[in-house]
Amino acid sequence: MARVALIAILAVGLEWARAIAGRQPGAAVPALILGGLALCLLGLGWAPGRLGLERNRLGLRILGGLALAAALLLPAAVRWQGGPVLSAPLAIAAITVSVGEEIAFRGALYAALDAVWGAPAAIVGSSLLFVAGHLLSHPTAFLVPVLAAGILLAAWRWACRDLVGPIVGHALADLAL
Amino acid sequence: MRRRGAVLVIAGAAAVYALAAWSVAPGFYDGFAPPAPYNFVNPPDQVKATNKPPLAGSATIKVLNGVVQPGSAFTQDAQAQLSWIPGAFHPPSDGGSLVVSIKPVTNPPPIPSTFTPITNVYQFTANAKLAKDANLALTYSDQLPTPSAIYRADDSGHWTAVVSNQSTSVFFISARVTQLGYYAAGYENIPRASSAARLGSGSQALPIIVAVAILIVIVAGLPLAVVRRRRGGDGEPHGGNPDDPPAAPRPKNRHPRRRRT
Repeated sequence: MARVALIAILAVGLEWARAIAGRQPGAAVPALILGGLALCLLGLGWAPGRLGLERNRLGLRILGGLALAAALLLPAAVRWQGGPVLSAPLAIAAITVSVGEEIAFRGALYAALDAVWGAPAAIVGSSLLFVAGHLLSHPTAFLVPVLAAGILLAAWRWACRDLVGPIVGHALADLAL
Repeated sequence: MRRRGAVLVIAGAAAVYALAAWSVAPGFYDGFAPPAPYNFVNPPDQVKATNKPPLAGSATIKVLNGVVQPGSAFTQDAQAQLSWIPGAFHPPSDGGSLVVSIKPVTNPPPIPSTFTPITNVYQFTANAKLAKDANLALTYSDQLPTPSAIYRADDSGHWTAVVSNQSTSVFFISARVTQLGYYAAGYENIPRASSAARLGSGSQALPIIVAVAILIVIVAGLPLAVVRRRRGGDGEPHGGNPDDPPAAPRPKNRHPRRRRT
């Protein structure tokens, strides 16, 4: 229980810290990259299997990630009207944050919640804390789809016991949006 | 049974996601552009206490060999900007540099009832006319509804919508423009009947979106879910972890099934 609380506080706290730091002029990209790397550190001390990061059937996992990206992007893609492409620094930041968030929320936090209260609590709890982490960086209207995205990625994590798919899907969706 | 449950959970999650994502503008990013407080000319009530006045901006661009060089002009608070490619402006008639100015307007041309502006009205001026199109971008506040278009007023004060790239980045809307003048972002005031008609046409696509989203994740997730669950067994607690020890095998024929007669 203490481990769940600690990971939750650290994950949400790091998300808030990077959102606040990123508001300073010129600090957006460094804050995103450092925040993403700090979130990755929450995966330390866990066996790769507990995080869903086994290397077997990597092809299926990556394919799953592409499918998740397609599902995440579909509502935006059908309404796409063209727009600027992310610059290289922002693209790197996007990937770093995506990996960090998946390892922190669907990896370490999910595993800790699952060990204490089971899979349903892990799916719901990690998704709610994922939303809490985005309170400072997203307007209120966007929090519902963020919650829904969290539930979809956590459901995949539970059903396939896989974190590679959510990482790939999340990173591609962030790069495209 | 658990496999079917896993498929149903993923399918349900995909459907809920598609519905939720459809309800907002595309592009709910991952915090790449944290919303900075918008500086209003006429602030709405909720930000009146903290509002700061918007800033103007200008740019001076050289003309080389009769060609205006590429550049951009933006307000000092970055709420409005214009960028262009080489030769997008005619050379100024005085032979000097191109000067582009952007300023927030306190007394814009009267806003018609057909749209509601949610940004300040900015006046874009230059000492030369545009020869090609330029990219005009406006940021907007997270405290007001998302704009659907950028609107332009000509010298006579007549407002028209400009084809805009909506919300590819949150709090940012842009358009290719061929003339300078007064610009603001806003949304169309739709009469009730046509509003319902629009909702109807949009909702026709929604079931398809939901169905495709479900199909995608199931088709891709099913093989992995089946393989993983077959390996992990059916009776594991808490959904099971891959490195949990495998369950002890059940003794065979401990309770032999009674044959029906």
